[in-house]
Order: sequence, then C-alpha cells, then structure tokens
Amino acid sequence: MSRNRAASRASLQCFTGLCLALSLTASTATAQSQVITADDERLDAVNRLTRWAAGGWRLGYVGSLPGVTTSGVARLWMPEMPAAMRLGRVVAATGARRGTGQGASQTVEADQVVSNTSLSGYMDFHFNNREHEDPVIDFHRFVLLFTHSFSDRVRFVSELELEHSLVGPEDEGELELEQAYIDFLLTRELNFRAGMLLVPMGIINERHEPPVFHGVERPFVDDVIVPSTWFDAGAGVHGEIGQGLRYRTYVMAPLDASGFTAEEGIRDGRQKGAEANVRNIATTGRVEYVGLPGFWAGASFWRGKTGFAFPRIESQATVGEVDARYRVGELEARAQYAHVWLDGMGELNRALRLATQPGANIARQIRGFYLEASYFVLPNPAPREAAVFVRYENFDTQYRMPAGFQRLQQFDRDAWVFGFSYYPDPDVVLKLDYSVVRNQSDVIDEPSSLNVGLGWWF
Amino acid sequence: MRSIGHGVMMTVLLMDTLGAVIWPGTVAAQERQVVDMVAERFTFTPSRLEVPVGTTVEIHIRSEDTNHGFHLVNGRNVIVPKRRQGEAVVVFEAEAVGVYQFECSKLCGAGHNFMKGEIIVTGPDDGDNDDGTGAGNDDS
Repeated sequence: MSRNRAASRASLQCFTGLCLALSLTASTATAQSQVITADDERLDAVNRLTRWAAGGWRLGYVGSLPGVTTSGVARLWMPEMPAAMRLGRVVAATGARRGTGQGASQTVEADQVVSNTSLSGYMDFHFNNREHEDPVIDFHRFVLLFTHSFSDRVRFVSELELEHSLVGPEDEGELELEQAYIDFLLTRELNFRAGMLLVPMGIINERHEPPVFHGVERPFVDDVIVPSTWFDAGAGVHGEIGQGLRYRTYVMAPLDASGFTAEEGIRDGRQKGAEANVRNIATTGRVEYVGLPGFWAGASFWRGKTGFAFPRIESQATVGEVDARYRVGELEARAQYAHVWLDGMGELNRALRLATQPGANIARQIRGFYLEASYFVLPNPAPREAAVFVRYENFDTQYRMPAGFQRLQQFDRDAWVFGFSYYPDPDVVLKLDYSVVRNQSDVIDEPSSLNVGLGWWF
Repeated sequence: MRSIGHGVMMTVLLMDTLGAVIWPGTVAAQERQVVDMVAERFTFTPSRLEVPVGTTVEIHIRSEDTNHGFHLVNGRNVIVPKRRQGEAVVVFEAEAVGVYQFECSKLCGAGHNFMKGEIIVTGPDDGDNDDGTGAGNDDS
C-alpha cells in the first residue's frame, strides 16, 4: 500500500513538473510571437495611413495587443484594407460587398482569401489517482476541428476526437466523429443545419473545450445524466431572435434502450451516427438567453422512442434540463439540473434479464444537478490567471424505479469537487482537483480521487 | 498598466476627433456612440445594435476567453485579443440604412457558427430599415 502511494506521489510530481515546464515554455513562446505581430501591424498601418478615401461606410481598426507601447497603437481608417493587412487576417471572407447609395455606392473588390479552411483543436492530458487503484496517466482527448467555408452562407464544420489515445479491440480508446455538418446560414433568425450534430443540452455538451470548465474531468452530471459528449446524426434549424434569445431544434437519431444501464443511465444508448437506426426519430431543442454580459440561462429537451431493438416494448426517453451561468467581476457561478423520464423500463428490464443482462435494473426516472462557484484569485490585469473552485453534485440513476424493481443505493451519489485552474495563457490550463464521491449504500464505497490535468485549445 | 491602456485609447480617440476635422473625406458632424461588446464562446454581447443613420459607432470588443474575430460580412475583419490581453476597437460609420451582419471569424470552438450579430442602421422614419436603396451588406 505504501509502495503504491510512493509510486503515485512520484508519478504526480513528474506529471506536475512536466505540465509546469510545458506551460511556461508555451507562455513564453506566445508572448514573443505577439510582440512580433504587433510590430508588423504597426509598421503596416503607419505606412498606409495616407491612403484614405472619401465616402462609404468604413471599418477602422485599432490594434491593441499585449506588449504594444503607446506609440505602437496604430489606427487604420480607410475604406479598403491594404492587401498586406488582409493577408493573415481574413479567414473566410469572400465575394463583393453589395449595395448602392452613398454608404456603399461602389462594388468593392473581394477580400483576398488566405484560406477558407481552418484547423483548430484541443487536448486533454490527465493524471488520475483513484482510491484503492493504481494511478494512471491518460491522454484523454485529442480533438481536431476542421472547418471549410464554401461561402459566407454555406459552411462545413467537423470535430474528430481520439479518446484515450489508442483504439483497438482490447483498448479503451475510441475514435469518434462528434461533429460533421453543413450550416446553411440564411438569416440571423433562421438557419439550417444537417449532418452529425451535438445535442443542444446543458452547459458542457456544446461548450466542452478544456479551458472553459473547471475540474480535470467534466462534471459527473454531464457524464452520467447528460451523456456528454452527446452527438448523433440529424438535421434542424437554429437562430437568434431579438437581443440574445437563441434557439435550436433538431430531429436526430434516437437513443437505443438496449444500451441503458443502472449505473450510467442513458449514456450507452447513444447511437453516435454509426448506421443509426431511425425507425423512429427523436426531437431535441434548446432555448437560451445570452443578452446580458456575463449571464447565460438555457433550457433543453430531448424526446424520442428508444425500443427499436425490442419492437414489442413501447419505450421512450424524455430529457429536460435547465442551466444558468453568471459572472460578476472575478466570481462565476454555474448551476444545472437535468431530469430523465424513461417509459417502458419495467418491460425492458425483464427482456434484458432474459437476454443479455441478468442484472438489468434500469430506472424509470434519473436526475442530477450541480452548483459551482469559482473565483479568479490573481488581480486583473495579470499576465497569467489562476482560479479556485468548488462544485457540489448530486446525481441518482435510480431515482424512481419501475414497479417490481428495487433501487440500487450505490447509484444514488453525490460529490464535492474542489481545486484550482492555472492559466499560463487563456487557452492553456493546468488543473488540479480532489473529488470526494459518496453514495447511499452501506456496503459499496465510491472512490474519491486526486486528479491533475493539462488542457489546451488552439 | 490598465491606466496606460486607457491613456492610449484616449489618445487614439483624440487623434480620431482631430482627424475627423482635418482629414479630407471624413464627416465632421457625425454623432458618435461608444459600445462595449463582450466576445465569448459562442456569443457577442450585445449581439444586436440599432443606430440611426449618420452615427459613428465605436465598438470596443474584449474577449472573455480565447481569440475571436469580428468580421463584418462582406466587409472587414479584425482579431479580438484573448482575455485580459487588450481589446479590439471597430469604428463603424452608419452612413447608409441597412442591416449589417457581423460574426466571429476565428474558429473558437464547437459552437463557432452560433457567434454572430447585426448592426441595424435605421432611417429618419422610425422602424423603416429599408429606404429602397438596397444599401447594406445583408440581403436577408
């Protein structure tokens, strides 16, 4: 036991040292490249300030980047951005500006396009030390996002994810196409989307880059109740109405009830767009309000039949969810509640027990919630950031049982997660947390864990 | 550091004011509005601005997370620095009635395509956003 602990301590020290070294190297390199960029911009702008022209609506630009001195702030004030400025700036602008009248009386030559294709990605590198187990180091996620703009109106977005680094019949790893869709951007109020889509559910599922949430692992509620990353094939519409009221609604491939479990609810029922059975379809949607700085609130739903693997069983899943985030100064709070109603689980449990799962004990309702508070402790402005956080989670995948089935108390769980996030750059985060997980069982323990993670986005 | 940044911005604004008077091709008598805008995965707040024609809108955009882009559709494009690393200032002269859409032009995450907004330039008549000229960069 003590040897195990010593090995764990040594692994943790190595991992933390490596992470810190990588973080410092990355932040130094970033700072240097920004100074070079600012200098180039300054020269570019000063050399072209005489090229003003009259008339037309104009978009000026004041460069303002870290490390730029007062004399380095340059102002561009010209209808046409010089070609040299456009290079490296324009990501996906094509076509000519349309219109007449004084404001836009001339057809403007199309912006030079450097590339209509973009590459981004994020990574998640974890050290997990769970009670009573050997510690593990896991390259949890390696994700690449490719996008291509056919035009301003027609765009392709994709997200390809490698989980646990190695895919094979004996390995934990998964290679998943989490997003691959075409957006037809019609108006601000109405747009059309089709392909592999993220289910618009909760805080994390559509917003899951490592620097945007605290804790090495995603919240338990966003794993067990809302099975993020929840994605499937589908199509639908999305848009924004008024000042910050957004919606999206899709039809999607349904969940497969034969994958439901007592421990993880609907998680293994995701078809993930792999020859997904669509004898029935599911509908999902979300409305959210994002009209005030620092405040987000949303509500989501999912509804669809799930019993195609057992045609004689009428089963259906309905998921409802509400969430909110609020940030004031250096303090941020988050809250989320999700509830799942599953119809036909009594019959399904009996069928599964006869078929593949002798212990099938799926609930007819599951639910979970969490509350989180975080505080940025370094003064603003500061070259780097650090935040402390605490989160309470309560999640129960045996909340209400079908007639004739008993609750398994070990799956009525709650957790306290606390730790800190250190940002050498806003897109790079070193995380450390400790999770204390408990359940209602008198017999089965839920292990607590110490976790260290390094995540980044580019 | 912050006060230096503010000083810089004030200097720039002062230069701009002088420029509007001295430099040819500028409109000296325009009304100026300053708008603070927050860019964050995956929204601009506020995402909708409505201004009367003839207004000069100065939009100060700061990010709450990563780099974003502010791209006026069929128009210019600027990069918004990362959180705590400054702000981008966009100056928009509303000289023609119309609806001008803007969007994030720097891929910023899974919901990047949701990140958009619009500037509505209204005419002298309330509620009339289209004077029949077809002005603007949006045909929606």
